[in-house]
Amino acid sequence: MNWLYGISITCFAASYLVALCLELTRVFFRAPLRKFLITGIILAGFFAHTIYMILQTQMQIAGMGLFMGSWAGWCFGAAWVLIVAYLWIRYRQPETLAGLFVLPMVICLIATGTGLGPDLAFPSTKARTVWNAVHGLSLLVGTATVILGFVFGVMYLLQTRRLKRKLPPYRRIRFPSLEWLQQSSETLLLISMVLLGVGLLSGIVVNLINQKIGEGVLPWDDPVIVSSGVLFIWLLIATVFNLYYRPARQGRKVAYLVLASFIFLVVEIGIVLGSGHATREPKEPGDAVAIKLPAELGIRSPLTGLRGGS
Amino acid sequence: MILQIVGCSHHRSSVEIRERLAFSPKQTSTFLEAFQKSYPQSEVVLLSTCNRTEVYTAGHSSDLIPSTQEMSMFLAESCGIRHADIHDFLFEHADEQAIRHLFSVAASLDSMVIGEAQILSQVKQAYRQAADLNQSMPLTHHAFQAAIRVAKRVARETNIHANRVSIPSIAVGVFARQIFERLDNKRILVIGGGKMAAETLNYIQSGGGHDFVVVNRTQEAARRLAEKFHAEVATWDDLPKQLQLADVIISTTGASQPVVTTEMYRQIERGRQQRPLFVLDLAIPRDFEPAIGDCLNVYLYSIDDLQQECERNRDARASEWPKAQKILDQETARFMSDLAHRSKAPTIQRLKKQAQEIKEAEFERLMNRLGEIDPVHKKEIEASLHRIVNKLLHPPLESLKDESEAGSAGLLDALKRLFQLGD
Repeated sequence: MNWLYGISITCFAASYLVALCLELTRVFFRAPLRKFLITGIILAGFFAHTIYMILQTQMQIAGMGLFMGSWAGWCFGAAWVLIVAYLWIRYRQPETLAGLFVLPMVICLIATGTGLGPDLAFPSTKARTVWNAVHGLSLLVGTATVILGFVFGVMYLLQTRRLKRKLPPYRRIRFPSLEWLQQSSETLLLISMVLLGVGLLSGIVVNLINQKIGEGVLPWDDPVIVSSGVLFIWLLIATVFNLYYRPARQGRKVAYLVLASFIFLVVEIGIVLGSGHATREPKEPGDAVAIKLPAELGIRSPLTGLRGGS
Repeated sequence: MILQIVGCSHHRSSVEIRERLAFSPKQTSTFLEAFQKSYPQSEVVLLSTCNRTEVYTAGHSSDLIPSTQEMSMFLAESCGIRHADIHDFLFEHADEQAIRHLFSVAASLDSMVIGEAQILSQVKQAYRQAADLNQSMPLTHHAFQAAIRVAKRVARETNIHANRVSIPSIAVGVFARQIFERLDNKRILVIGGGKMAAETLNYIQSGGGHDFVVVNRTQEAARRLAEKFHAEVATWDDLPKQLQLADVIISTTGASQPVVTTEMYRQIERGRQQRPLFVLDLAIPRDFEPAIGDCLNVYLYSIDDLQQECERNRDARASEWPKAQKILDQETARFMSDLAHRSKAPTIQRLKKQAQEIKEAEFERLMNRLGEIDPVHKKEIEASLHRIVNKLLHPPLESLKDESEAGSAGLLDALKRLFQLGD
């Protein structure tokens, strides 16, 4: 099974790109086999993506570098969650053009992850508790749901605009119905609020543990903590507003709420990147930095292009 | 095989004539039974829809089936009308023309609304009903199975069925579906009791909608429509309240002034709590003031908005027409060639049988004269005679096959005469 170690970012990024191009061709001509082809390519890409993530995580467990603790790993993880969501949309709404909106976000995340590189990692300590995992995972999936909500929000606004202007529907592609987009956006808003809330709370617990061992402590007024808190409070307000004020659940308001959540998220990520929460400082073995493969395997890291071992 | 069609369709006959020649399923059974009694050697299928009544007959030769004149007289008699009254409105097709017509009907290329999907199931149903009464229908079975295959091929290889072309089907199938994911939990308000409202409700009902309420100035018309769709009836004074509760509105009144003004809508807008509202204003002049379409979460479509989409779809279907016709040409030629080949099969079999008999007789005679011989040599001689027969028959059979593909029948007659095969 050594061939699995040959799977690189290019494999799944190219699959998603080809699938996006095929989705685009739906605008121009009819091809009955295209949807099967797209699904096949996406599944192939998803398989490569999953294997890549598993192998990188295995190396993390082996203490060869914390993949999911790097920005690259985090971006690839978010892209992976988006692909899972996209496959679900393909199953529920097979004839719609959701791929034209979701796949560019996936490709952007992969490109961002590759651009930031494996060296740019989150601060970490030797203390590894379950809270670290909960913190990382909930923020990862929460971010992906905010991005997906943004995609649905954009689709909703475009669809409303078309319908209000009485523009004829596209010949070979269609948007999901407004009702579906609205309900999905509402659900995503709720899920992202819960996940980012869990992420924030578990982050506080991690910081308290770090305080105890006296390592890697963030001050409570750190911009990362403050901006995360603001993002969570915004999502909480948006969800409560959406749940208890009935007109807010109708039409464009839900779309505006998810779009605003995305803008908050982008601002939050900007603050995290700009505040030194991500670092390129070299770490001791076992800490989160570059992905390094075991030298005995003699395998070239698909991310760094360097041979593993140090 | 002889295949004939006599019938009327929307192309040459008015709805009055078509109504007089229409058959219910029960009447169809009676017609088929009576026809079988009169012409027991003939296979018969009766296709009766709102746009056509067609009688298909098939037999092995023309003397076994009624002439087209006899068929049209039988049809008139079955409907209790004078033959002279309908004669000018009937069409007749035979052989290749009849096959092409059947393929065209099944593929919905002869329909009033080209590409409508219902006709194929009606063709299947017509054949099934005939087959249920007469178990042995090899000729029509072959033709109708081919027609179903052609219809599927046209649907698969062209976009002729892809786009809706009637206003109610576009309103529900295209626009309502862009707003609502499901219709079974939506309240549908009908203002007026027109034919267009009934037709639109049919589409909504088939899409899952069932919560209907009808409002009309005259209660009698409202009740008639309500009965048909198990709908509630509300009074005209109740209209503002119904506007507030509705998710979909179909308006088809004959009023000369707007029935719902912007001011009236503004009064109930707050109570709607910004729920999306899909309004189909199918009335001329319009029942809803156009400014209502600017209100939050209101999607207002007039008949003109839908008409544009209808025309666009009609154009799209028209552009697929040559492709569909090409398929029809290919399939008709294929069927006729196959048919010609099948009709030659008995003659070919007789020729082969005759050759086989001659071979066997000669082999026996030779064995009697040679007496006891080595079994290996005996087998060699038999194989040699077999090869001679096959080699002699191969060229004429190949020529016969080529001729059947070309569609002529001269060689078959020549073969029969040359080898004295009889009929």
